[in-house]
Amino acid sequence: MAWKALSPALLIMAAVAACTPEGAEPEQPENSYQLAEPAHFQRLVLPEGNPLTEAGIELGRRLFYDPILSADSSLSCSGCHLQKLAFTDGRAIAVGLGQRQGRRNSLSLANTAYYFKGLFWDGRVMSLEEQALLPVEDPNELGHDWAAVERALRRHPSYPTLFGEAFGITDTAELTRELAARALAQFERSLISAGARYDQVLRAEAQFTPSEKRGRDIFFDASEELPMGECSHCHTPPLFTDLSYLNNGLDQAAEPEGFPDPGRGAATGQRYDNGRFRAPSLRNVALTAPYMHDGRFKTLEEVIEHYNQGGHYAENVDPKIRQLHLSRQDKADLIAFLQTLTDSSFVNNPKHANPFLQ
Amino acid sequence: MKQLLFASALLSTLLFAACGDKENPDGDMAEMALNFTASYGGSPLVMFERTYGYEADMDFKMQLFQFYISDVRLLRQNNGVTEEVPALDVDLINFAGVYTDADAAKGISTETATIPAGAYTGLRFGFGVSPQLNATIPPDYPLGHPLAENYWEDAKSYIFFKVEGNADLEPDGDFSDKLTFHVGGDNNYRELTFQQNFSVEKNGRLEIPLAIDLRKILIAADGEYVDFRQVKQSHSNTSPAAVFMAENVPQAVELR
Repeated sequence: MAWKALSPALLIMAAVAACTPEGAEPEQPENSYQLAEPAHFQRLVLPEGNPLTEAGIELGRRLFYDPILSADSSLSCSGCHLQKLAFTDGRAIAVGLGQRQGRRNSLSLANTAYYFKGLFWDGRVMSLEEQALLPVEDPNELGHDWAAVERALRRHPSYPTLFGEAFGITDTAELTRELAARALAQFERSLISAGARYDQVLRAEAQFTPSEKRGRDIFFDASEELPMGECSHCHTPPLFTDLSYLNNGLDQAAEPEGFPDPGRGAATGQRYDNGRFRAPSLRNVALTAPYMHDGRFKTLEEVIEHYNQGGHYAENVDPKIRQLHLSRQDKADLIAFLQTLTDSSFVNNPKHANPFLQ
Repeated sequence: MKQLLFASALLSTLLFAACGDKENPDGDMAEMALNFTASYGGSPLVMFERTYGYEADMDFKMQLFQFYISDVRLLRQNNGVTEEVPALDVDLINFAGVYTDADAAKGISTETATIPAGAYTGLRFGFGVSPQLNATIPPDYPLGHPLAENYWEDAKSYIFFKVEGNADLEPDGDFSDKLTFHVGGDNNYRELTFQQNFSVEKNGRLEIPLAIDLRKILIAADGEYVDFRQVKQSHSNTSPAAVFMAENVPQAVELR
């Protein structure tokens, strides 16, 4: 082979091959899907047991939008995760089957592939595969049971074929809830949002307006001339969350046992985790109102005012929650910056849309 | 010809990079980790559960204490020359989950490193992120890597250590004053060296115990201290409180 033909990719392949033990070459599934990882994000670590494939993602998308997962075939995952709202639902508290109210606000699904410190507001499950199993049997969500879902999928005219294409099964008896959850997880991992104007500015393809720039500097505590917004400690780029769980001072509580919703504490059993919730990503935040785990704030103005006041007392309120002394202009500029995190290419991406309407 | 040589060199480099560290040039290998216990004065450092008396009638409680260590090397003698044996690039030591004295006594260990078995005469590491690593950014790392988080975009630095808690400044039992000291920047990196003999046999494990006293970070040997009544937060590389605390690090870390 002429040396000129040695591309960097080939060199890397040669290097990897040189170290791969005989017979242990990683198996690449047919139709494997290469996720377009944003260069300014941390590198993804995908689970070995569920490699992404075109067929798996497409199956996951169909399942996500198919009300077959609910007890009366009236509601799908997309009922609480609407693409146009960055996969939230616009409600304070999610509403499930039969208009039953859930416990908390619907979280955005953008960039959940990166959430390695737990999912849901309280981090009670660690993987998208585990997460995808839960809403089906939650009476306040899809209200169904997986045994019935499996039966429905097995006798469906197209799902057995789609599962076969995605996972290589040849017998409908092999069509299980675990495979359905794997497909849903693959679709969710494909929901990458990194095309906001903020990202364009990073790539020098756009510029902030003066108001956005000022808001950005308040957000990142980047200027001694401006008040510190203290936002980026927890809403850290590029995900605009550090994935941590914290008490942001929403509720006064004399004791850690005194919170109306224990949040993270219910998942860990640690009393000082009571009242702590995941710092949600602020990507697309202008689309994801209302805010907080209970949807108590209708607008970004209300959110910022909460932080500006310094929150309510509880022993485990994060010390970074403190009075900010922001002026009206400061708050307006912060909101202008937050609006640059809206990714219209994400909420209009046909690959994420309802396939039954396409 | 030059291009052919370049391609060969690149291939060799890639092969070396891909395969390096898996072969032991010295033969027998062993495991090594550092274990840090944290205290405040003579008391175990625990989150929330203890009140720590401070200077000038101030008290405080902790919520977070974490720090990076980097470039961990063991020292050994070879014909009268001190050699450095690389052990660990970087790790984040986080005491946020230490709520009890028992947990504090267990300490927090680094990830396990593989080192050549043998006799060593000392330990050297950086408190913070070494300048070379501090020039990298989170997108250089996979999720879960210590350097995939705790980055200050504007300061172009990792946050080397964080001290967060609540202070009672009166004192009247009201711990409502928030303390958040975040320190980073190459100027605040400190390299620490400890002379002590260690030895580890083939397939053995060496756990090196270190102790860090937060009081000695907040209060210098001459009695000067971070006055919480004057400064409750520091989020820059150059603020006097950040520089002061970083300067105190060498006196705060001990090999036990």
